Amino acid sequence: MTKLNWKIWLLIFCILGSLLAIFPLDFSKGVEIVSVEEFSGAFEQGLRPGQIITAIDSQSTPSFEDYKKIINEKFPNINQEKPDITLNIKTKDKDYKIITKEPLKIKLSEVFETSENNKSKTIEIKIDSMQENSIAYETGLRVNNTLVSINNKKLTSIEDYKNLIDSLFPQEDKIKLSITTKSGDFILFTNKAPEISVKDIQKTRIKTGLDLSGGARALVDAEEKELSASELNDLIAVTNERLNVYGLKDVQIRPVRDLSGKNYMLIEIAGSTPKELESLIAQQGKFEAKIGNNTAFQGGEKDITYVARTGEQSGIYSCSAQSGSEICSFRFSISLSEQAAKKHADITCQLELNTENPQYLEKKLDLYLDEKLVDSLYIGKDLKCSETTQIAISGSGSGTTRQEAYDNAVKEMKQLQTVLISGSLPFKLKIEKLDTISPLLGKEFINTIFIAGIAAILAVGLVVLLRYRKLKLSLAVLLTSLSEVLIILGISALFNRNLDLPAIAGIIAAIGTGVDSQIIILDESQLTAISLKERIKRALYIILGTYVTTLFALLPLLWAGAGLLKGFAITTIIGISVGVFITRPAFSEIVKLILKE
Amino acid sequence: MISAFQADDPGSIPGRRISKNKMSEQEQSEIREVSKKQKLTTWYNKNYKLLLIIPIFLFLFSLAYLGYSFYTTGDFITKDITLTGGTSVTLFSEQEINTKEISDFLSGKINDLSVRELSDFRTGRQKAVIIETISEPNQVRDLLEEFLKYELTSENSSIESTGSSLGKSFYNQLRIAILISFILMAIIVFILFRNFIPSFAVVISAFADITMTLAFVDLIGMKISSAGITAILMLIGYSVDSDIMLTTRLLKRQGETNKNLLSAFKTGITMTLTSIIAITLALFIIQSFSNILEQIFSILIIGLTFDILNTWITNVSILKWYLESKHHD
Repeated sequence: MTKLNWKIWLLIFCILGSLLAIFPLDFSKGVEIVSVEEFSGAFEQGLRPGQIITAIDSQSTPSFEDYKKIINEKFPNINQEKPDITLNIKTKDKDYKIITKEPLKIKLSEVFETSENNKSKTIEIKIDSMQENSIAYETGLRVNNTLVSINNKKLTSIEDYKNLIDSLFPQEDKIKLSITTKSGDFILFTNKAPEISVKDIQKTRIKTGLDLSGGARALVDAEEKELSASELNDLIAVTNERLNVYGLKDVQIRPVRDLSGKNYMLIEIAGSTPKELESLIAQQGKFEAKIGNNTAFQGGEKDITYVARTGEQSGIYSCSAQSGSEICSFRFSISLSEQAAKKHADITCQLELNTENPQYLEKKLDLYLDEKLVDSLYIGKDLKCSETTQIAISGSGSGTTRQEAYDNAVKEMKQLQTVLISGSLPFKLKIEKLDTISPLLGKEFINTIFIAGIAAILAVGLVVLLRYRKLKLSLAVLLTSLSEVLIILGISALFNRNLDLPAIAGIIAAIGTGVDSQIIILDESQLTAISLKERIKRALYIILGTYVTTLFALLPLLWAGAGLLKGFAITTIIGISVGVFITRPAFSEIVKLILKE
Repeated sequence: MISAFQADDPGSIPGRRISKNKMSEQEQSEIREVSKKQKLTTWYNKNYKLLLIIPIFLFLFSLAYLGYSFYTTGDFITKDITLTGGTSVTLFSEQEINTKEISDFLSGKINDLSVRELSDFRTGRQKAVIIETISEPNQVRDLLEEFLKYELTSENSSIESTGSSLGKSFYNQLRIAILISFILMAIIVFILFRNFIPSFAVVISAFADITMTLAFVDLIGMKISSAGITAILMLIGYSVDSDIMLTTRLLKRQGETNKNLLSAFKTGITMTLTSIIAITLALFIIQSFSNILEQIFSILIIGLTFDILNTWITNVSILKWYLESKHHD
């Protein structure tokens, strides 16, 4: 057998590499964690997105359906109303009928009678105390009533009562849930479903874009204003915070810049989208700082005139070790308008000092974003009644290492600053483009594209067969085209690129030019006047020429149209580059081998 | 080899011999073929410049048409909502939605309405209904909900909307992108051949491809989307492919121009036909499943067809003219 040329080896190597990139080597089964609610029990235990659950309780390698079933069975009644329970209570004097969802708020006592041999015997069970305004109270039960029976069960001890109540009102006990992931075993004791969302492990690492898998995409800019880069960063931070507060998962927000230098915010949300999305995106969000029920100040420049985010007025000022963990403290200052400062002073004047922590006031400053509580700050006692426009906000972050503590402190500080600037961005927002794409047809669509692709490549093979009448050459063209598709997909998987429709069009374009070049190689190599080597060299010259022209023709598309067609340009560039540097040199070697025979 | 029964025409036996003066059918047809070929070659050598009239006529017609539509509508092409701004709603429904009823209901209430349906390429069953308009998404959604009597969610519909200023800016940028691409392509072609006329022939052929395709697309009433413009960009690449191959073969290879031309023609026509066949097949399977791919494929097929004309008449004639006048000098 002839020794294979290194160019063919390179192609084989690339094909294998692509297969590895597309199909994950670990054939683990189970479900992948998509997101974990921060600070939930699952999060504290160490569950993180990306981990793969290989077993849950006794079920190994659960599918998404298995997972849902187990969780639903284990944690039923989620969001379900508790049932009404009827209690027929017999006291010494009267009968009562109470319908309730919860155990009675009463405390009982036993009345003993001591007999001769010092043995005590319970003779009566009395209500020792009870909560006024409770159902039991409203029905007429009172302290010192003697309970005889409940639902025809005679009560002889407090134990009896407790057992009865326990059986009527099952307690939401914490259930043990064991989750095995590849990075370790986790045991949760919880009374509700773990706050994680999971999905089936994908069979391939190829990610499809929103236009195929469904989701929402919005392109946002400011009304009648060009966004500067720093304004855009603020906008992105605020929007991120708000979508988080709203509970949207799988959100990606990033800045895009188009050919004319205009900045946009691009929001991409995978999966189904809420109806309120539009208002959620188009408005900046409402920030309110409340003390008790009183609003101290609101977002917007009227109340908060400045939030220091850089320089001396903002940053981490100390780190220290405390009982095994590291803590870093941050501080930044904000400026209030005089009006807001006065209001703040008025409210704080009415507050007492905190009894446990006398350097603070009794109530906290609660920060609300879109009417949801996002943070609470202690108010220093020196702020009481003081009409100050300069307020320092401080806090801390902790961690096992100093670096972690520092990073957490910075994160906390940024988050607070972001909340504070919500609603105070100096521009109105405008949704330039909003696409919500149903995931309904996605799978079917991908299949159709797949069929179309295979059909097109087979057609190419057939045309080549008709023209050259050599099955081997036709097969070589087929294999080369297929390997180009494979390598493009492999590179996309490797770099986590989303394959959207423009990208698929790009693959088609690349394969099309690829086939053209292969035909050039075939024809050049059939001319017998000059040596085979020389002929193929010529073919590669033509191919390199067309490569460079196509490459340059695609460059502007990387930026035009806010980069929405970037997928097309990048895939085509990857495709034609793979063609020129990997598959076609190998193809010409294969052709040489075939023709030498 | 001698055997008892010799064939009629023992061509394998060496030596002189005489036989009946009769040529086989095959020989006759071969001679006819050769003379036909010779006639064709002579005719071609004499008239190849004349052939240029066809593309020149088409080119001028396209330019005039595009100019006319620019004069009347303010633009060369008819843009769809991705470039003008507007809303596209795709409805997925278990029950068949009557497209006529829906368009009767909506017409008059929203502007520039178009309603069409997608169907499965195997069963022909309705898959979805697409409504396109330049109106605002909220208005369209409200009207559709009124008509369908159910709420539109991300499960039963897709809604895509583009603001008019964004659409305009997209269009401007994509035009600039095409212009830059074209200029970059031209520069590289000139560097590649370092020879004005052959390079110019390649560039003018690509330009004619684009012009004719745009005019044709507009004539058949196709509205161009942002994806359609990428198809034009792809066309630059495809068009230049065969032109560069042709020019390289004719400039850098010794031998008779016509012979080189014929071999280049064989290669080039295989290239283009393969592309056309493959894309047509893909278009047939994908059909109207995706607006984006449908338009990209359609424009490519139209463009590649014009490319056959422009490569093998426009480019070849200019190149041959150039080579022959150089030969004369």
